[in-house]
Amino acid sequence: MASVQTRRGGARGAALRDLAGRWAFMAPAAALLGLTLAYPIFYTIQISFSELNLGTFQPDGFVGWDNYRTVIEDDRFWQALRVTAIYLVAALPLQIVLGFSIAWLINAEWQGRGVVRALFIIPMVVAPVVAGGVWRMILDPLWGLANHLIGLFGLGPVDWLGDPTLAMATVVIIDTWRWTPFVVLIATAAILALPKEVFEAADVDGANWWYKLRWIALPLLMPMIAATFVVRWLGAVKMFDIALAATGGGPGHATAVINLFIYDEAFRSLRFAESSAMAIIVLALTMILTGLFLLGARRLERRY
Amino acid sequence: MQSNHSGWRIDRRAALTAALALIAAAPALAQEGLGTAAAPVEVRMIANEAFARQWQTAMVPEFNKKFPHVKVTIDGVPYNELLAKSLLDVTGASPLYDVIIADDPWTPQLAQTGSLLDLKKDAAAWTDKDFDWDDFNAAPLAASSWNGVQYGVPLRSNMLLMFYNRTLYQKAGVPEPTPKLTWDEYMAQAPKLVQDTKGGGKPDAWAIGTYFMRDVLTPTIWQTILNSNGGQLLDKDMKPAFVTPDGIKALQTHIDLVKFAPPGAASHGFNESLQAFRQGQVATMFMWGSVFKGTAVDAATTTLKPEQVGIQVMPAGSKGPGAHRGIWSGVVSKKSKNPRAAFALLQWLSSKEGEKWHANTLGVFPARKSTLAAKPESDWLVPVYAALQQAYEAAQAGQMWRPRHPKSDAVQQALADETARAISGQATAEAALKAAAARIERVLR
Amino acid sequence: MSTQARSDERPTLGHRLRIAGGLFACAVFLFPVAWMVVTSFKMPRDIFTTPPKLFFTPTVDTYIQYFGHAEVMKRMANTVIVAFGSGLVSIVAGAMAGYALARLPIRGAPTIGVIILLSRGVPPIALAVPMFLVARKLGLTDQHITLILAYCTFLIPYVMWLMRGFFLSLPPELEESALLDGCSRFGAFFRIILPISMPGLVSTLIFCVILAWEELLFALVLTNRNATTIPVAIAGIAGDTVNGANWGALTAVGTLTVAPVVVFALAVQKWLIKGIADGAIKG
Repeated sequence: MASVQTRRGGARGAALRDLAGRWAFMAPAAALLGLTLAYPIFYTIQISFSELNLGTFQPDGFVGWDNYRTVIEDDRFWQALRVTAIYLVAALPLQIVLGFSIAWLINAEWQGRGVVRALFIIPMVVAPVVAGGVWRMILDPLWGLANHLIGLFGLGPVDWLGDPTLAMATVVIIDTWRWTPFVVLIATAAILALPKEVFEAADVDGANWWYKLRWIALPLLMPMIAATFVVRWLGAVKMFDIALAATGGGPGHATAVINLFIYDEAFRSLRFAESSAMAIIVLALTMILTGLFLLGARRLERRY
Repeated sequence: MQSNHSGWRIDRRAALTAALALIAAAPALAQEGLGTAAAPVEVRMIANEAFARQWQTAMVPEFNKKFPHVKVTIDGVPYNELLAKSLLDVTGASPLYDVIIADDPWTPQLAQTGSLLDLKKDAAAWTDKDFDWDDFNAAPLAASSWNGVQYGVPLRSNMLLMFYNRTLYQKAGVPEPTPKLTWDEYMAQAPKLVQDTKGGGKPDAWAIGTYFMRDVLTPTIWQTILNSNGGQLLDKDMKPAFVTPDGIKALQTHIDLVKFAPPGAASHGFNESLQAFRQGQVATMFMWGSVFKGTAVDAATTTLKPEQVGIQVMPAGSKGPGAHRGIWSGVVSKKSKNPRAAFALLQWLSSKEGEKWHANTLGVFPARKSTLAAKPESDWLVPVYAALQQAYEAAQAGQMWRPRHPKSDAVQQALADETARAISGQATAEAALKAAAARIERVLR
Repeated sequence: MSTQARSDERPTLGHRLRIAGGLFACAVFLFPVAWMVVTSFKMPRDIFTTPPKLFFTPTVDTYIQYFGHAEVMKRMANTVIVAFGSGLVSIVAGAMAGYALARLPIRGAPTIGVIILLSRGVPPIALAVPMFLVARKLGLTDQHITLILAYCTFLIPYVMWLMRGFFLSLPPELEESALLDGCSRFGAFFRIILPISMPGLVSTLIFCVILAWEELLFALVLTNRNATTIPVAIAGIAGDTVNGANWGALTAVGTLTVAPVVVFALAVQKWLIKGIADGAIKG
């Protein structure tokens, strides 16, 4: 263990001080989050088991699992989970692979790379409403540039947003466009932090690029790949702004991800109790899956 | 929780007592509650961001000419979150807002919390003698009443109307619509309105632009068709009543409209259909009347000229022409500290004089019969007023509005979901309506 | 080891291809942004044309209209305060927690770390309403500090986890030698670990600022007027239910909001490299 004791005398006091010093690192974050999140999470759980009085926004009578039953019996809830799963399975690996590859590309040393790196973050900064709208503008079969270009080759028009399968692909494309820059941003820092000496030594040994990638770069990057994945996963589970701006969850239910559904139920239908129950279910599912990812990540970290 | 609940009761009683005390004292202190130069009163309003700024910069100064000591602050909130935010505020112990600007279906949802002033009772003493309630058209006034109580006054009226592009009708050789035009006739004309105007070998103008995407306003299209055939979404007991041959036919008509709409129309809603019409790409548009100025008059936003654009009620069913109501009303919070000043603002803006100013200066549509009968200052408003008056009457006759219920938005959301499934071909009209009915029954249980 | 020396070593074809590939990727990702900027100079009637108009009479009316608007500028200032405030608080608190997780074996800390991370699993929509109720009870609605605290709740877990990853990849000898030299833990962290982690720190800070910059839901619910941010204004323009969304205005305001963040990213660029150089010297 890394604990260091400076003097033998007063070891007990030093150990205590050391422990306090260690906890001091954890304390600000834990305290901030505890203070700001404890009540809201408690409230959400409480509401999910109650009827909500819209006159006070306080729980009005315990109803047991009723809200949960309502949610589970609602086929739209399952549909939304399915849609979310499809979106996550398609978008997450794509963004991680693309992000790390592009980070490697734009890290090539030349004068312009600082500017390229800075420009690359723009898709993340564009407000989702504007991003969704601009993409709609580009993809619309009537006045969109995309179909106009396809049309020059005698193809199309493709109904990017009106066809259920294509609409899902469109949402994945827009989301990937928006969030790959995040992966690039983090991956750039991770790649920059790689110890150059190891690669130079490998060069001297005449290792080929695949060997360097598979046996040197990948193991060194693994903690950051795992961390990026977990952060992106937690962000992606909550995605609804892009779907709302680009498709409104349609056509039909094709792109109605779970958080859009919760948003609709809470803010449009004012069914806060049911939406709280849904939020708790989603929280539980997210926790289980995140737990699995963390276990997997730890395994990977240990392996390399 | 129980204590909170009763706490609210006490608040309500206290507010009522206070209001009654004010009413009793009112004749003696005619200007009480309207502020003085030394001690102005403040009125805060929560409104749709779409018009909050326009009101703050243009309407408030005009109001202050008559009521100089009432300081009005208007906060704009984007439409999607306005109801939730209003509800959160009005139910608080000391709400920030004195006036809430509520969309058509929201009055029951706000009123059921017991936090709105009954204008005809609580504000009766503050009401001017010449404030003519009966001059309002019945349909817009009813938007802010619920269970027989008048909670608000109509401030910005809007109706779902039929816009048409005269040039495209002429090119297609189709007679221009009249209020007598039926849905059957319109559907027979629609194929002719899909045309190749520039000789490019394929269609470049289509018949129809309107709501098709997954959106809460999309069901209003087939609901209007249903209403104009005498049908209703909910019966007297608030049970779904739309799974009928008429209901299925209405939704089917809405679905069939996609065939005569531009490519990609299945994902079009308010903004897209509006743009297509403004670009001269669709011959007809079922759309809110408020867009008329930007569609026919304002050269920065439209390619069309006023003389090219016609406007009238929606096509007729067996019971007459169709329309659908969309009224923004002003309501007063019961816990407002300056209810009199808040009501003064609503009263002035909806009075004969205020409404006329509002319509002529800002182009906002009026609700009063007298305003609609008078000649507007701008010529482009003449056909709009005629269409509006007809639409109010049609809406009143056929009860063409969204369900009046504290869970109105949940009902509308269910309709929107299932309508979207039907339009995208994921369900038949009948299956979608059955699913919607089952869900609505659950919501209203 | 200077960067110049390294690039001199291999001006190979592979290297050129890599640069070209990076530029191509950048062009692809920036295309929709370019379209946004082009659209912001169009009059509303020129935006939705068939075929799309590439040549049009440009107008800066929308910019003048919105840039001169006191409300927009105030909202921009609010956005800056809130984004950087929450970004800085989160980066400090989060990096410390991440360091504890990566390097300080304390009983229970990993559990707390995981709980903090899992708190991100709560859909934000569910949190917005109770947070508003709390803020109202404390009389804190419509204030910058409320938004900053709210944003910290979702930024800190991210920072913690990302920085943990960066700290893990540092050689442990660094702080061990510092501690042996008599540095306190805090001293070692702030003077040795943080400077060498600059690339990760800066990237994470950029990420935090962006997330807070574009956040809409909490801003909508928790503010009314004084602390309202730009995304709320954008949502308002997009949700114009009276005249239809003004896409000229939307893209103009969209462009305006992007600019400060890009400038910020460019300004902190050098720290990405500097950290490495410092680390190389000290390590």
